[in-house]
Amino acid sequence: MSRMEIYSPEGLRLDGRRWNELRRFESKINTHPNSSDGSSYVEQGNTKVICMVQGPMEPSSRSQADSTKATIEVNLSVASFSTFERKKRSKSEKRMVELKATLERTFEQSVMCHLYPRTLIQVDVTVLAQDGGLLASVTNAITLALIDAGIAMYDYVSCISVGLYDQTPLLDLNGLEEKDISTLTIGVIGKTEKLALLMLEDKIPLDNLESILGIAIAATHRLRDLMDDEVRKHGNVRASKLAKN
Amino acid sequence: MILSPAERSYLYDSLSQKPPIRPGARSDHQFRPLEAKTSFLPNSNGSARIRLNDGSECMISVKSKVVVTKSVTNLIDVDIDVAGFRDDSNFVSNLKYNLTSLLITNFPSQYLKLTSKYSFKLFIDCIVISHSSYPLSLISLATYLALKTTRLPLLVSEVNDEEIEEQPTFSDDWDNAKYLDEAFEPPIFITLGVIGTNLLFDPSIEEEQVLENGLIVSFYKDNVITPISNINLATNSNNSNFKGLNQKLIIESINLCNKYCPAIIKALNTLTEQDDEGDDDHIF
Repeated sequence: MSRMEIYSPEGLRLDGRRWNELRRFESKINTHPNSSDGSSYVEQGNTKVICMVQGPMEPSSRSQADSTKATIEVNLSVASFSTFERKKRSKSEKRMVELKATLERTFEQSVMCHLYPRTLIQVDVTVLAQDGGLLASVTNAITLALIDAGIAMYDYVSCISVGLYDQTPLLDLNGLEEKDISTLTIGVIGKTEKLALLMLEDKIPLDNLESILGIAIAATHRLRDLMDDEVRKHGNVRASKLAKN
Repeated sequence: MILSPAERSYLYDSLSQKPPIRPGARSDHQFRPLEAKTSFLPNSNGSARIRLNDGSECMISVKSKVVVTKSVTNLIDVDIDVAGFRDDSNFVSNLKYNLTSLLITNFPSQYLKLTSKYSFKLFIDCIVISHSSYPLSLISLATYLALKTTRLPLLVSEVNDEEIEEQPTFSDDWDNAKYLDEAFEPPIFITLGVIGTNLLFDPSIEEEQVLENGLIVSFYKDNVITPISNINLATNSNNSNFKGLNQKLIIESINLCNKYCPAIIKALNTLTEQDDEGDDDHIF
């Protein structure tokens, strides 16, 4: 196969975006009102993620209870049909274990865990389709589901992936781009510049890091607004239902 | 244990009345209301999602692959993933065995035949996101919808390749893709609860706790077919009411299914037609 042009001299990427453009972001909260305490559905481009939160609840085993704060458990399952070539993925795969640990650590810091001592917050994530930015979409989905569950957080954790092509940072990579260039995923707390998550699975030259972080933080702020719109929209729908009764 | 002894006894007595008084005011042959959506996964040939009011939810994806017919033992592969259960647990392997054997024995494989050498192989992947009652009929109804809306790319190369070495080629235009067959109605499983001399369609989790027995009936081409099996539907609980099965009830269950299942098939077909008209690809 001939090498595809990741970034054309005219400044266009494979899917016709410019370097600083996000993919279509769509989110919904409270998608599973009957089977979970909080739920969400996130689409970033062709990556589709469902997230359900149970809790804060009493843990089934004593070992999961911490007398000072809540325990967060993330179960990440990637459907075998999520990629073009069907592939069965086990939960004990090294990459999945690492993603799970990353997510748990991120949300232990961003959720006000000290308010829910001796409880368990169980987060179940199902990835239906993946096309780049897996960790980012999963993080955004978990944030929305936690908000839907009414669990206290310091602020939104919005997350995005950025790659580096030669000297140019490329925002929100799709699956094809992600295969070819190194990718950094960052999660930012609200509208600050505080990083809750930073994941780099390969290498990026240190002197380019600042420009990458700059564009990524701007993008997460935009994503936070998009998620906030959805939460407020849903809040208004609920409030109007309450008013009617 | 989700019911107290008093609740169990009350429910048992209500359900063994003639006609039974079911929680939710359902009649004995009535299903719980369900919500479904098809063709929402652009990466799959067919997809369906079914959700019940109690939050039980199941998603199916059908993917296809071209294989050399001789090299595979069967053209259908089923995989089931139930949230909270290990893949090698008895519960999951039973569900998987039931569905696989039903589909393999009753799937008209000529629909998958491409040329004299090549065929499509279908991979049916099922995710049960959450469930309360025994999920087999939920999974099977979702599989019905997914197979009914499965589209396979149109073959443009020669059908007869016995003499020539040719790989099948397909039309680039997805609009030319064909459904398996307009008239094809995949087989389904129906779960029935047995209590006294009553047979209850689609028992809910509370009803499962007091049932005397459970039946899984398979239905295909307007008729009940084998296998018809009995099972304790209440998993993870010691159902103290569980009894042997009166053989007259098996005959009755066949009659009941023959009478009411065509209505289920009809409802599912109407659903796929309505979903086909709408242009919206969103899951929710």
